[in-house]
Amino acid sequence: MWLHSLQVIFAAACFVRLSAAVFADEAWNVDYHYALLGEPKEETTFFHQPNPSSKASLIYSLSEQGVLGAINPRDGSVVWRQPLLRDDTAQNASFLRAGEDRDVVVSGLGRQVAAWNAADGRLEWDLIVDGDLADVEILALDEGTPTTGAKDVIALSGGEHAAVRRIDGATGAVKWRHPLDGPDVPYQVSASATELYAIALHKTMLGYYKLKVISLDPVTGRKTDEHMLSSESELTTTDTIVSVGANSASPIIAWTDSAASVLKLNVLGTSGVSSFNIDKHGEGAVRRVRMHAPRHSNALAHFLVHYESDTAHWAEVFHIDVRNGKVEKAYSLPKAAGRGAFSTSVIDANVYFTRVTQTEVVTVASASHGILSRWSLQGARVADNSNSTPEPIHAVSEVSFKDNAVSAVRTALYTSTGDWILLRNGSPAWTRPEILATTIAATFAAPAEAEALVKQLQAEAHSNPVQAYSHRLQRHIADLKLLPAILSSLPQRIIDAFFGNSAEGGIGHDGFGFHQIIACATKSGRVVAFDAASPTKILWNRQVADLQPGQSWQPSLYSPRGGVIVVRSRADIGVEYSATDGELLASTLPVAEREVPSSKAMQYTIRSGGLEATLGERSAWHFVPANGETVISLVPRPINDPVASIGKVLGDRRVLYKYLDPNLALLVTGRNASRTASFYVLNTVSGAVIHSSMHTGVDLDAPISSMMSENWFAYSFTAEASDDSPKGHQLVVGELFESLVPNDRGLLSAKANYSSLESGAEPFSLVHTYQIPERISKMAVTRTRQGITSRQLLAVLPDSNALVGIPYGVLDPRRPVHRDPTKDEQMEGLVKYTPVLDFDPKWYLNHQREVVGIKDVETSPALIESTSLVFAYGLDIFGTRLSPSFSFDILGKDFNKFQMLATVAALAVATFVVAPLVMRKQVDQRWKLL
Amino acid sequence: MDTLKLKKAWELAIAPAKQLPMNAIGMYMTGNSLQIFSIMMVFMLFKGPIEAVFRINSTFSRLETEGNRQQMVLVKLAFVGCNLLALALGVWKVNGMGLLPTTRSDWLAWETAREPLERAYYVPS
Repeated sequence: MWLHSLQVIFAAACFVRLSAAVFADEAWNVDYHYALLGEPKEETTFFHQPNPSSKASLIYSLSEQGVLGAINPRDGSVVWRQPLLRDDTAQNASFLRAGEDRDVVVSGLGRQVAAWNAADGRLEWDLIVDGDLADVEILALDEGTPTTGAKDVIALSGGEHAAVRRIDGATGAVKWRHPLDGPDVPYQVSASATELYAIALHKTMLGYYKLKVISLDPVTGRKTDEHMLSSESELTTTDTIVSVGANSASPIIAWTDSAASVLKLNVLGTSGVSSFNIDKHGEGAVRRVRMHAPRHSNALAHFLVHYESDTAHWAEVFHIDVRNGKVEKAYSLPKAAGRGAFSTSVIDANVYFTRVTQTEVVTVASASHGILSRWSLQGARVADNSNSTPEPIHAVSEVSFKDNAVSAVRTALYTSTGDWILLRNGSPAWTRPEILATTIAATFAAPAEAEALVKQLQAEAHSNPVQAYSHRLQRHIADLKLLPAILSSLPQRIIDAFFGNSAEGGIGHDGFGFHQIIACATKSGRVVAFDAASPTKILWNRQVADLQPGQSWQPSLYSPRGGVIVVRSRADIGVEYSATDGELLASTLPVAEREVPSSKAMQYTIRSGGLEATLGERSAWHFVPANGETVISLVPRPINDPVASIGKVLGDRRVLYKYLDPNLALLVTGRNASRTASFYVLNTVSGAVIHSSMHTGVDLDAPISSMMSENWFAYSFTAEASDDSPKGHQLVVGELFESLVPNDRGLLSAKANYSSLESGAEPFSLVHTYQIPERISKMAVTRTRQGITSRQLLAVLPDSNALVGIPYGVLDPRRPVHRDPTKDEQMEGLVKYTPVLDFDPKWYLNHQREVVGIKDVETSPALIESTSLVFAYGLDIFGTRLSPSFSFDILGKDFNKFQMLATVAALAVATFVVAPLVMRKQVDQRWKLL
Repeated sequence: MDTLKLKKAWELAIAPAKQLPMNAIGMYMTGNSLQIFSIMMVFMLFKGPIEAVFRINSTFSRLETEGNRQQMVLVKLAFVGCNLLALALGVWKVNGMGLLPTTRSDWLAWETAREPLERAYYVPS
């Protein structure tokens, strides 16, 4: 008997352990996060030692997206980053400078000059100038005594009050200010060891530019000299100015004529101009000329000019004679096919150039053309996409020397595929997919394998039994071909299953639908795809739109069926790509024709400040907002929005019927004059307003986010302070019902179909408003396959760089007000309404990470009902899997299969042990009876 | 002898009714939650009367004689009636537990959403 009770205790102990493990945190397992900087710019990217006493350096970059950050060159992780102030409308120039042996980096963007601690990214000081910055430079003055403090900063600002300022490097105070009067456009500043030059563009009457060089005394800011460079009629645009040398022993200015046939150079401070003919190397015009010069005032006055044609690139190295200001060509580097990147590094006073071509990394010294090191890039194909080889765009390098020979070269290379790669002696050490920071549209697509199976199953379901049987038999025979592969992977799968890794693995055997392909369309016209369950590997990366510089596109992506992604720009023809490898499938029909299933489909769009709907050719209805209101946003109910239950079951088992109309849309309008925002729920077939509300005192500059799903909608806005309420952020949730009387389906009763135009059945709505701690910039909602699982409202919090998933139960507009819930309401899970809604720390999907700059959130159902996939993009990339009703249809990762099998085995052993005892007892009993 | 047997038969027939108050109290005490204990009790409540009704002839065979056959029909009917009362108690209990599909929500899965005749699609401008 005691043995039996022992068994029970043992089994019970096992189950206690199991149940305690269900809620273990799955953070960092199911979610992923790329902390990105954005596309690094060539001029604002460099290696720098944050601590002058140590040799370790970090890569600093101020990206196109206005994010300043430091990257650890060892593993590519972000040491720190700071999104700088930026208004998206203006295309601002940005600057990033680091003084030699200084522990600050100085950034300039828009009107702000700021100094940041190089080691930890803390703000040291900042200064707002009156006018957009034209240049920022660190003054490397040779003042005789070695100063220990921070070096001063020179800022050149344009606009109406153009001026040169010298800013104290330690405090950010302006030491002097020299106004630049007149119509000339400030272009750049340049500092040599003794002098300061401000270069301005002077527009002549004929429309050409002339370069005006103003020499300033660095100590007092007084003008010492001013002269015009005789560039004749060569400069028609600023594009052909190759470079204005920054801090160096003798700063230079270089430009070409518009045909790029002559290179002209001037050493600042002198008036002579040297010209060099550009050798075209026989073919094609020179497309681009770039200059690479050291940025150290004590480095040798050598520089490299990089020429680029359509098919090849080459370079020439020039030396400047500091004493007489003469420039002469030293040697040239041979032509190589494709594009290349050059970078400059300085050790002591020596200058080294590192060249990255499509096949190799070569380092030469500036003094002679002898190759110091050469590493092949073969086998180091940067991203594994077959359709195009990535081309080097620009690079920064750090050369290390040992015993007078190059021992190592580290190159941070930015490629045309948008990857930022660190090449350590020619082999990639890490890759950062910085192009994903420019994502402007994204979609989920199921892999083709899953889709194929679904299709076969459908075929079997719709044919007669005999055909279906033979079809199935054939399918299984075809599956047999996979047997060897399955057998060989079996041991690994069993081990994985033991240690709870069963949800992972390749796309091939994915029973849960976690392996969906996420395709992101970027600003530069590329589409990048990766697997949602193993996001570390980019599946493919492909140029889909041929954009000219300055051109933008508005792509939209969607997946009409498994394995296919359609990319469409604006309203024109969609192009299909294979989701798994990015191969071009076919151009499809215009999307508008294909999507619409019946002739009775209406189309509506935002036009001329209102909504316009058309049925075929005819105009159906107009929605014009009230006087002075402008449309802020329109959110239609998602086309694919499955709803499992058409009603809500109350605590007493009666039913409240949901108002489910696929044609609902939520329109937000704002009126600047009266600071009001109006929210309309529209029936988009009839154009009727179903529900509307107006809020006064709304801050229209703050984001107003809105969302519509199933039979409920949500929106949030920031209310300004008024006499009776403080400034605050509000979240409003409304739910639409056919009737508020339980068991009643409203006017239409149980009719099978209805016409929105004929019936005037209007829903009854319940609305609750909540006061939330911060603003919400974007909303989304979780989606599951059949809509059985409860929902979570996903809200992007831009002020705390977070993404929260708010359970619908918390937002439910049926929460009782001013009273405790009744017993029936308690059974539904309703709790008393509280106006203040605090975000529970458990709702934060990003946990302790900072997810910066999220612009939009995409969700997609997994194959299993409990789970929804979430993908957020903007600057950072963040994705996770959510189970709003907990994972009821899948064993958690922490389900210990080994323990379960051990329990079964122990019970089996115990049974075998006990069996003879029981047998003997029964036999004994029989003997006693008889 | 027949009257004695008839008396005994009546006692047998009424016996299930005598148990009813006790059963009712027991059912009331177990509550309406779905637990293994209350489910077992409800199962027993159903099993008892149904078995009794099927065994009705064997139950009364010892007491049945040629003479009292007429009265026995009445007795048997009373027996069945008492057992039905016990069954009714079981049904009441099951209803209390919410296992009878008597409300709207039980048939919700067979109701379908109304189909709109028109559809409208948003075309981003």
